[in-house]
Amino acid sequence: MKHYLDLVKISAKKRKKQSRMTRICIVLAVFLVSSIFGMADMEIQSQMYQAVQTDGAWHAAFNGLSEEQIRLIRSRPEVVDSSLYAAVNYSLDQGYMLGGTETVICGFDESMTELMPEAAIDEGNFPSEKDEAALTQSAKKRLNLAIGDSVALSFPSGEEHVFTVSGFCDDTSLLTSSDAFGVFVSTETYESYFMDDTKTEDFQLYVRFTPFCGIQKTISDICEQLDINPDSVGQNTKVLGLMLQSSDPYMMQLYFAAALLAFLVAAAGILMISSSLNSNVAQRTKFFGMLRCLGADQKQIVRFVRREALNWCRTAIPAGLALSIAVVWGLCALLRILSPSYFTGMPVIGISWPGLLAGVIIGLVTVLLAARSPAKRAAKVSPLTAVSGNAGTVTAVKRAVNTKMFHIETALGIHHAAGSRKNFILMVCSFAFSIILFLSFSPAVDFMNHALRPLQPSAADLSIKTADGGNGISKNLAEELKENPVVKRVYGRSFCSDIPARAGDTDFTAYLLSYESEQFHWAEDSLMSGGIDAAAEGSGVLAVYMNSVREFAPGQQVELALPSGAQTVEVCGTLSEGMFSVPDGTTIFICSEELFEKLTGIDQYSVIDMQFTSQVTDGDVDEIRSLAGSGVNIEDNRMGNSEVKGAYYSFALFLYGFLAVITLISIFNIINSIAMSVSARLNEYGAMRAIGMSTGQMVRMVAAETVTYIFWGIVAGCAAGIALNYAMFNMLVTSRWGDAWTFPGVETAVILLVMILAAAAAVRGPSRRIHEMSIVDTISAL
Amino acid sequence: MEILKVEHLSKTYGTGEAKVEALKEVSFSLEKGEFAAVVGESGSGKSTLLNCVGGLDTPTSGKIWLDGQDLFAMKEKKRTVFRRQNIGFIFQSFQLIAELTVEQNIIFPLLLDYQKPDQRKVEEVLDVLGLSDRKHHLPGQLSGGQQQRVAIGRALVTQPMLVLADEPTGNLDSKNSRDVMDLLMKASRYYQQTILMITHNEHLTAGVDRVLRVKDGHLTDLGGVRA
Repeated sequence: MKHYLDLVKISAKKRKKQSRMTRICIVLAVFLVSSIFGMADMEIQSQMYQAVQTDGAWHAAFNGLSEEQIRLIRSRPEVVDSSLYAAVNYSLDQGYMLGGTETVICGFDESMTELMPEAAIDEGNFPSEKDEAALTQSAKKRLNLAIGDSVALSFPSGEEHVFTVSGFCDDTSLLTSSDAFGVFVSTETYESYFMDDTKTEDFQLYVRFTPFCGIQKTISDICEQLDINPDSVGQNTKVLGLMLQSSDPYMMQLYFAAALLAFLVAAAGILMISSSLNSNVAQRTKFFGMLRCLGADQKQIVRFVRREALNWCRTAIPAGLALSIAVVWGLCALLRILSPSYFTGMPVIGISWPGLLAGVIIGLVTVLLAARSPAKRAAKVSPLTAVSGNAGTVTAVKRAVNTKMFHIETALGIHHAAGSRKNFILMVCSFAFSIILFLSFSPAVDFMNHALRPLQPSAADLSIKTADGGNGISKNLAEELKENPVVKRVYGRSFCSDIPARAGDTDFTAYLLSYESEQFHWAEDSLMSGGIDAAAEGSGVLAVYMNSVREFAPGQQVELALPSGAQTVEVCGTLSEGMFSVPDGTTIFICSEELFEKLTGIDQYSVIDMQFTSQVTDGDVDEIRSLAGSGVNIEDNRMGNSEVKGAYYSFALFLYGFLAVITLISIFNIINSIAMSVSARLNEYGAMRAIGMSTGQMVRMVAAETVTYIFWGIVAGCAAGIALNYAMFNMLVTSRWGDAWTFPGVETAVILLVMILAAAAAVRGPSRRIHEMSIVDTISAL
Repeated sequence: MEILKVEHLSKTYGTGEAKVEALKEVSFSLEKGEFAAVVGESGSGKSTLLNCVGGLDTPTSGKIWLDGQDLFAMKEKKRTVFRRQNIGFIFQSFQLIAELTVEQNIIFPLLLDYQKPDQRKVEEVLDVLGLSDRKHHLPGQLSGGQQQRVAIGRALVTQPMLVLADEPTGNLDSKNSRDVMDLLMKASRYYQQTILMITHNEHLTAGVDRVLRVKDGHLTDLGGVRA
């Protein structure tokens, strides 16, 4: 030992258990901060990856520019990439056809592939020659094309133009779900064949700026300098939002909400470390008194405590960071398992540097700041404390226990918790913060459910529809499809439109649809009144309320004027929505296939939907396509479903991850804090045992202390948490979708249950220690 | 009337080379109202003897009867209650509960039994201890001597069969030591309180009824010295 500070290491070895608890606290705080920040960062990275894949990497799109304006924008130093872009037949009703299939034509510069990864050429080259075109993969497969082949594109006028295939690129979800092709040509080719107006009207200039140039300001500078109407500038809100560069008022509100949550997380970390250090130093009053007695001055004591705190950080911070990295990796791996196609771009073992940095900063700075107060307190310890007799004294007691209201052990337990105001406030705040964090984060679940609608269980991966909307698909096809091993579910619908109907004195037009058992099962989720069974068994119909101007009640009779004659059906239930979109104001009735056939005489489907197993390949879809034959449209929704699923999974996983981390930390924090408090008083407990306190009374004393902390933690946490929940809900949900805030009963119940269970677990450990405690050893240590 | 009977008491710590025989076949007994002092060098085994007699430590072999009841035939829970009601402890470092006032500390064993203390009796104890004007003070506000007096009050309040005092004057100056000894003496003489006191200070044995010496785990009865 060469320096008095070397005593830090020696003291740490002697006090391994107490040091371990403080270390655990620092580990938990660093873990909380870095995993939440890390998860947020990974979520932003993942959302950014998806946003770039689906919406493109461009930041702004300028419309109606002159050649000169385009040149000036492109020459700006902030512009990294730019491309002209124009498209025709986006609505797929203009009559541009490739092999009889509606086709979207896009013209852009080769640099567009940087701005819109969806447009990147997978095979072959960008169409640089005038009569060259790149096609989507679906066109390649279905028209059996290869690079260098010629393909004839028919125009709305009936004319045809032959292009040479220069390459192929991926389908987009829009194209596959509409069963359409995409043809990509150069801007020059587009100008020659597809431009309807002037170039100024047709083309947009897509621009990507350098990331940290202040994109909003650059855009407004460009508009001002080149006299461009700011309203005509489109922005990639999602990408800009994720770059924290959006000026959209709603995004600003989201940023504020995120900043508030980040602050709360940081504050929770600070409180946890502070209360742990406070308790650690407080229980060694005598030791510091002894140091003072031996001649250590106040500054030396402050230095001692600070060095001790840094010593804990040396192992605790890396451990907290390692835990958070493991959790983030686990979540990323889970995302890749849940939605492999969507998260291919996500790093398998990505490291979030901002998350780690936040963990280190919060850990280190908090430990140093938190060490200041106990260090000062330790320095103030009088040398007399070391030689005074009351060794059991943990803190300087100012008030006596109230033994009139409770039994002695309960009164002592309450006093142990509330005796020291500072310790009480820190402990209560650190417990309250768990509730506050949980309740503040929970409105994000509502936000998610609004912003990203989860994929309906009925969502079809592939739909076979009659081209004319009639009922022309044989039910045998559905039976055949059921035999296919990659098909998980097949469910068809028949459809009869424009049926004159009458309910009571009201005449209206109705649509009649048939469901099979699977669809009736899904319909249960949207049942508003009545029951499903009668409709499924063929003795009634379900009325759909969605978009309807009419309301029906179960038992109501409806007369339908069908081609076979007037038929009366009874409404057995009402649904809030159905598995289809229909014009507003349309009344829809749903019945079983048998009743539909009985009423209409139609025994064929209008639509067959199917869901696939995860083993499905494009080859399987092609096989189904050929099995369906001609005269039908095939809508392939796999890509779109995967995008919806992926976006939802990603957000849900990270959000529930946050909540799980907060819950876990709450549990550990409560257990650790109570264990620390008991450790601090173990000698005092030994004396009480010697005097005659039974183990049962000791346990009740610890329980009373725990309950006091938890009770006030719950009171403070619920008061602040519910207020913050209200504020966050308003910011995230009400301001956008108008939903009124409701009391977060379930969330409050969940976190309170967690706290109570954690408190029970927190009492269990010390109880065991008390049972095993040797009175003689404890007394001798005094 | 025999209150305490110790027979062939042995206590061994550790095994093999680390084996320490703290007490070897110790036997003795105390009559009601007897004040005995156990003297011996540091490490001689006197504290082990006190801990075993007080039911805080379990002997390796031998028996201890208190008022005819075998202390170690009882289950731990029962022994705790028995100890609380029948044995009073006085420690060298007082062991007062910092959060309780003087009065609360004194009645602590009664409160652990969920008994309503007899206020008249409590006042009487406070008066005997000379702490009536300090009854609402916290231990931190008392001198060492006053704190030890509180500890004595706590040991006596249940009127136990036996009071065990482990170096009760070890942390006190000579005046306070004298006061404490006077109090113990008073308890023994006027209240017929049986007391077993450990001390390494042989001057304190001047007024006690019997002196027992522990050396290397063996106990020798030196007989009565009371004037």
